[in-house]
Amino acid sequence: MRREDAPLGVRSISTQIVRNRMKSVKNIQKITKAMKMVAASKLRAIQVKAENSRGLWQPFTALLGDTPTVDAKKNVIVTISSDKGLCGGINSTAVKISKSLHKLNSGPDKENKYVILGEKAKAILVRDSKKDIELIITELQKNPLNYTQVSVLADDILKNVEFDALRIIYSKFHSVVSFLPTMATVLSPELVEREAESGGKLGELDSYEIEGGETKGEILQNLAEFQFSCVMFNAVLENACSEQGARMSAMDSSSRNAGEMLDRLTLTYNRTRQASITTELIEIISGASALEG
Amino acid sequence: MASNAAVPFWRAAGMTYISYSNICANLVRNCLKEPYKTEALTREKVHFSISKWTDGKPQKPTIRSDTPEE
Repeated sequence: MRREDAPLGVRSISTQIVRNRMKSVKNIQKITKAMKMVAASKLRAIQVKAENSRGLWQPFTALLGDTPTVDAKKNVIVTISSDKGLCGGINSTAVKISKSLHKLNSGPDKENKYVILGEKAKAILVRDSKKDIELIITELQKNPLNYTQVSVLADDILKNVEFDALRIIYSKFHSVVSFLPTMATVLSPELVEREAESGGKLGELDSYEIEGGETKGEILQNLAEFQFSCVMFNAVLENACSEQGARMSAMDSSSRNAGEMLDRLTLTYNRTRQASITTELIEIISGASALEG
Repeated sequence: MASNAAVPFWRAAGMTYISYSNICANLVRNCLKEPYKTEALTREKVHFSISKWTDGKPQKPTIRSDTPEE
């Protein structure tokens, strides 16, 4: 309530202004509460899908291992973010991690490229990493998420981008209040061959029997593509869950803040109202006593 | 010799394993009876907008809003 808001000559805050503010804060509170309910219902639906999709990539990790520390010449960083805002800090943490990964992996004859999913990451990364962006994909959530969509997307990425290692950055959904940014690594078949020689999980690949008359190289290529598609599917679903969960908690804290603001405004309103009533009474009584005396 | 290993026909035609498995899945979904068939086919809708960037400049985004191949 600034001095210019009140008409000239008035020494206290006008109740009209406080009343207007209270009305708008109340409306905001209703809107954020409604958004929280919507996010909660969307979360329930998509959480089931995300948990079911975890079973898709677990066999791959059991077979090929997850090697985040692999040394790859061509790194492609796939950053998954949301298209809509008002979801707390998940998008900015995902972008922060992608940028630090980029810095970590930069060096002589090492290349880092970005593939961006979602408007929010695009807005941030376009500002300072323009020359490293390879592909940008938006409007992913127009239809409910399904495997076909993500696999077509993964296919597009595979066809357009050369890579030695793909690093997918997304926010994994642990619970309604905890979403941690995680990185999943998918290696290209050539890199898998190279790592197989150095032993470890991948070195045991040779002990598996291959049926069907395909060579090991072919199977590795099929597996790598399918692994990428499955990991992307799970990552996109988990990110969507985290987005809804973050939106829920953001809207919840926003309604709580609006409630507190409303309380404080009500107190101010009542105080000014009582002060003006008291002033009127004083004027009446002093006027009356002036008449008598 | 072009290759010393016989590549499967779809690999030779330029498809990845992903598109191959999508086509097979579409075939299986088309084998269902109504009403499960329409339910399953709604799970196949694809829509996203992809734009390739070269040298820090975006190219025109293309919208892929199709149900996957046939």
